[in-house]
Amino acid sequence: MPFAHALVAREDLPIPAWLFAWGASIILIVSFFALSAAWRTPKFEDGNWRPLRAGASRLLLGLPTQIVCGLAGVFLFGVAVYAGLRGTEAPDRNFAITFLFVTVWLGFPALSVVVGNVFKPFNPWRAIGRAVGSGFATIAGQRPARLAYPEALGRWPAAIGLLAFVWLEVVYSASGGVAVGVSPHTTAVAALIYSSYTLAMMALFGVEKWCERGEVFSVYFGMFSRLGSFGVRDGRLGVRRPLSAATGWATVPGSAAVVIASIATTSFDGAQEGAFKGGIESVFDWLVDAGFGLTTALRLTDTIFMALCFAGIALVYLAGVRGMETVRGAPPLPKLRSGFAHTLIPIAFAYLVAHYFSLVVFQEQAQFTYLLSDPLGTATTDLFGTASGGIDFTILSANAIWYVQVGALVVGHVTGLTLAHDRAVAYWGDYRQAARSQYWMLAVMVAFTCFGLYLLSVANA
Amino acid sequence: MHDFLPLAHVGHWLWTLYVFPVLIVIFSIVKTTISEKRKAKRDSQRSTD
Repeated sequence: MPFAHALVAREDLPIPAWLFAWGASIILIVSFFALSAAWRTPKFEDGNWRPLRAGASRLLLGLPTQIVCGLAGVFLFGVAVYAGLRGTEAPDRNFAITFLFVTVWLGFPALSVVVGNVFKPFNPWRAIGRAVGSGFATIAGQRPARLAYPEALGRWPAAIGLLAFVWLEVVYSASGGVAVGVSPHTTAVAALIYSSYTLAMMALFGVEKWCERGEVFSVYFGMFSRLGSFGVRDGRLGVRRPLSAATGWATVPGSAAVVIASIATTSFDGAQEGAFKGGIESVFDWLVDAGFGLTTALRLTDTIFMALCFAGIALVYLAGVRGMETVRGAPPLPKLRSGFAHTLIPIAFAYLVAHYFSLVVFQEQAQFTYLLSDPLGTATTDLFGTASGGIDFTILSANAIWYVQVGALVVGHVTGLTLAHDRAVAYWGDYRQAARSQYWMLAVMVAFTCFGLYLLSVANA
Repeated sequence: MHDFLPLAHVGHWLWTLYVFPVLIVIFSIVKTTISEKRKAKRDSQRSTD
């Protein structure tokens, strides 16, 4: 049975797990002083954009490629929904669960960082929306009328959708033990409801507008693509300085909520059967004593703890921003609040890697063997002759997982610190004042690192 | 009867070890900020004298 974290108990580490948190904090502090002394001008504000050859843009962004990728996205999404509706109810034997919650949900952030926003051409709802829009324009001889998107809403619909998606996965369907506990049928129904909602919003506000603001997966994967070197500008593929595109991401309202939701949901998923277990059990018992049914009490308790995670992470970030505001020459608070939100993107990515790295390595073996050959999990098909395959859990030792987790968290937080320092130099001008303003961001980064390592150490114990 | 150390529940307090680095950083920041403000005040007083 595939477990999310630490299949086997960790072997003896050379030093206690908590000393890794101390070591990581020292690395952050040293990085902070190095940045303060040596990083005197902003380097990420200008992305150093260089377009690739026109032929590469034509090949990868042209209509034929868009159609092929769109069809592939719609086909795979259709297979997942069909498997969810018609396949086995065992989550670990049904293609839908691993494909949607592991291959897509966890695979695309990594792909986006490395090769750019690849979800965009494969997005099934975007492909359907564009096809319908083109059909309408051909028949009616005009483009469909659109409502103006309320800009004050910004990316809030995506932030709420992100919380709802993870809530469905880890709260509504909490079952314990199985990698993803949600039932395939529930997943398929939820996917169909989400599809209807997304297509309706695309019809109202336009396909591209909704993908930029409200479509959960486009916004979420697009956020991670800002960390990488590849991007599209004015219809041309190009290369830019890594991390530079992140600087312009959080100017839209609600962006901070998206990245905080990402960190909070990952933290909650990692902590619910580890660090928060005692607290969750206490609140659950209290709710049951108060007369709630067992399922309602469990969902309510998990919802409360997930909301607390979101509030806690938001508070730590806002405390860091408040601290910056006290430094002479600081911009107004709203500008600081949105101006530093992008520094959390590498942290969100680091949390994803740290919490789900082992899950991806194990579950992708299932994805490309028995789930691909027997997508319904009914043991009646063997499409590619790999239905008898399995997961080799010895491929990763528990210690190797721990070192990857520690490495991801350290690299993610040092990257966040670097982005924050760069933005501070741009805002304050004087690098000494910029360094002063970043004292509090250093505290935020150390807090997130230690919190992350604590969650992982308890989950892996 | 009690000839062993009462360490059965010590694991419950392990989280404090993860809080130490955060507290040390916050303490250093507060201390540095206060001393910088005092220095700035002294300098401004000296310049008015």
